[in-house]
Amino acid sequence: MNNLIAAIVFIALAPVLGGLVYGVERKVRARMQNRMGPSILQPFFDFMKLLDKRPMMVHSTHAFLGIMHFVAIWFALAVLVLGGDMLVVIFLHLLATALLVVAGYSVRSVFSHLGSTRQALSALAYEPVLLAIAIGFFMVTGSFNTSAVMNSAQPLIVKLPLAFVALLMILPIKLKKSPFDVADAHQEVVGGAEIEFSGVFFEALYTARWVEYMFGYSLVALFAGANIWLGIGMATVVFFVVNAVDNSTARLNYKDMLKISLGIALPLALLNLVFLVL
Amino acid sequence: MSSLVLSLIAVPWIVAAVLLFAPKMLGRGLVVLTALALSVISVVIFVQGGSQPFSFSVPHQVHQIMLAADVLMLLYFVGVAFKYRSWLVGILAGLQMGMLAGVINAVGEKASEASPFLVDRLSMFMFLLVNVVSGLIAIYATKYIEEEDVREQRKRNFLAILMWFVGVMNFLVSVDNLEWFFLLFEGTTLASFWLIRFRGDDLSVRNALRALWMNQLGGVAILGAILFALNSNYGTMQISELVKQAGSVGFMLPFALIAVAALIKGAQMPFSSWLLGAMVAPTPVSALLHSSTMVKIAPYTLLRIAPAIAGTKLSYVIILLCAFGFVVAALGSLARTNFKEILAHSTIALLALMCLLAAVGTETAIMAALFLVLFHGVSKCLLFLEAGVLERVFHFKHTTQLQKLGDVGPKTSFFIAFGFISLMLPPFGAFVGKWLGVELLAKNAQIGTPVVSLLAIVAILLGSAMLTFLYFKVIGALISRSGEHEKPVSEKMAPCFFGVPLILALLLVGGMVGLVPLTNNYIAPVAAAVHGTLKEFSVDGFAMMFGSSQLAVWPMMGAMLLFPLVAFLSQFVRFRGVDRVKEYNCTERYEQDFASYYFSFDKLNPWFILVGTLFFVALVLVGRLPL
Repeated sequence: MNNLIAAIVFIALAPVLGGLVYGVERKVRARMQNRMGPSILQPFFDFMKLLDKRPMMVHSTHAFLGIMHFVAIWFALAVLVLGGDMLVVIFLHLLATALLVVAGYSVRSVFSHLGSTRQALSALAYEPVLLAIAIGFFMVTGSFNTSAVMNSAQPLIVKLPLAFVALLMILPIKLKKSPFDVADAHQEVVGGAEIEFSGVFFEALYTARWVEYMFGYSLVALFAGANIWLGIGMATVVFFVVNAVDNSTARLNYKDMLKISLGIALPLALLNLVFLVL
Repeated sequence: MSSLVLSLIAVPWIVAAVLLFAPKMLGRGLVVLTALALSVISVVIFVQGGSQPFSFSVPHQVHQIMLAADVLMLLYFVGVAFKYRSWLVGILAGLQMGMLAGVINAVGEKASEASPFLVDRLSMFMFLLVNVVSGLIAIYATKYIEEEDVREQRKRNFLAILMWFVGVMNFLVSVDNLEWFFLLFEGTTLASFWLIRFRGDDLSVRNALRALWMNQLGGVAILGAILFALNSNYGTMQISELVKQAGSVGFMLPFALIAVAALIKGAQMPFSSWLLGAMVAPTPVSALLHSSTMVKIAPYTLLRIAPAIAGTKLSYVIILLCAFGFVVAALGSLARTNFKEILAHSTIALLALMCLLAAVGTETAIMAALFLVLFHGVSKCLLFLEAGVLERVFHFKHTTQLQKLGDVGPKTSFFIAFGFISLMLPPFGAFVGKWLGVELLAKNAQIGTPVVSLLAIVAILLGSAMLTFLYFKVIGALISRSGEHEKPVSEKMAPCFFGVPLILALLLVGGMVGLVPLTNNYIAPVAAAVHGTLKEFSVDGFAMMFGSSQLAVWPMMGAMLLFPLVAFLSQFVRFRGVDRVKEYNCTERYEQDFASYYFSFDKLNPWFILVGTLFFVALVLVGRLPL
């Protein structure tokens, strides 16, 4: 019962927690670059500022799809935390991405379209790896439900070390971090799929990214099994690794991204599955 | 019961004969009536039919008539070869004649008393698909062909061939005798040859000839299967007997050859070009070939022999061949702009998936395959009919033109989006099929065949991701527009251009809402008939259990309806009191480049063909190995 309440509180607070993570991230990155960095609450100040802007949009369909992107990604996180079927979780997450992609295509802007195409390509790059990881969970616990993973006494990373490495490799794509941030490379596509959102409508995408953070790091924590503190510890370590990599690498183009995720990360995850059977 | 089954064959043939001479209005009325009658009959057969297969014998003369038909058809092929100077067709026809003579010779020694007909649950399932979907296509075709620029007599011929085709299909799924199966297999080849050739230009003739010789190769494989079966310990050419004896005899070559024939019909690499070429035909033909007839022979035939090949080395080769075909077809679709071409690639990919699941052959796999056969049939039919509407009403052929559609054709764009959604998203049946496939292969990977299963899983995941990517691009193009249009102008079109797709869409919605009863009452009995037993499947309230994995239909539906619903609603949501702005284009000219040319793998095509050919060779070679 306590677990359930904790889960519900976690889900309800996910956007806020994600905002904090983002604040810490900006601070950490700044320190890595020898800057002071903004306050940890800066994302929330930005949030308030966006609310003050004059509401503008291209058309309602576009704005609505953006809002639903936020709803869908929150929903995916809820199913993940409440112990739902991992395949359903991955699919919901794909749907959330799809809503953003379709939103990007729904306006007649070159940059929006380019961004959408890149966003879809990113999904194409990491989705198969996620599914391979889900199959790994299934082969270890005998169930696709994340509740089975969260009840497993032995941390899954022991059985799935290579799959964990694969997750580390695709996490920058999901979180849009260098070297795999082609989807919203602002120097190239002026913000990508998000370009035509502004003010209160951009708010939805802005907070959706915070929820995405929680989603990504929850996936990492799943590898710890029942041990929640180990999970938080792993997520923290991964957080620093991802940001260190983000700070120290330049952006690759999308072909290299596909090659690395489908050519290295996916085979790694599958190799792990083969080891499980042998 | 036998008379009902025979009427499914005879009625379309008689109507086809009448259609050749009937005046326009009478002909059109007749088509509608026949479509209704056939649908009703197939439903009655399914409802009344028991779980036991039934067979009935025919007078001896019928065998002779069938043989005469065989010879006539092969002579016609020779004629075609001379007329179009196609030596390939000629050689294959000659080869078929020689092999047929060999078969007659071999049968003479072992006169068989067995009944040529065998109608079981699988046949009834196919009757439903063939008659309901093809009936709707035929009704649609009456309007479509009216606007074709050809003589009145040719229009009559067109409808007559369509009807005849339906009869042949019904016949094909109810025979048990391989020699008859050969005749009907080539009968569908002949019908599609005529239909693809219909427009008569060079390209049509060339593509029709290609379809002909490739499918003739399938015919050769079936005749080979008969010869090997008769001259081995089997000594029979009844499919049901062969399947029964497979375990004890252990000689798999006949099955390998039947599988080759099936996979050629199913347009797997390197034989995919015949189906891609078929799109030059009038659009109802594509709808017919892709959804309910012709290519569906592939999963049907593999399901027939599934109990014999499941778990053998033969099935591993088929699984890998199909996994390869799935990925290649999905890759091929990425760089296309022609709407029908995109649909054709997705058909080939999904056929590969159906055949893959049929070859796995466990109970859940068979159910998954049946899901895909049924729902893909309906969805693909809807999409092709809409392709026809695009041609006839809007004169569009390319997906780049689709972005104007949102403004001028809200109904059509809704149907297209719905069709694509029903092909890829839950809670529609096609998704359930894929989902089951992945779960099942994951289990197989644990039990015993890790490498084959894992490779197949990877193929399904990669292929599905690519196809989903493509479908979303199409949907994105459909809703793309600049600024609000407060009052969409609805397009005007003929009632059957709107009505037939509407019926198909309603069928899809019905199948989604009633997924649990549908599975329990229609899919499960069929799977039980194919597999022999049904132990894994059970229904628990609103959840369906497949072995240890549970498909919680209602919760899943609730969650997953999100996308279709949102995409639909988003067309009607209006935010008031918000200023509208133009897009930021940074002085770049707006131009939507639809195809991902970066993903053109056409230059790899020769390699794909080579690998595909090697797979087919391997299939035959593995058939030679002992069980």
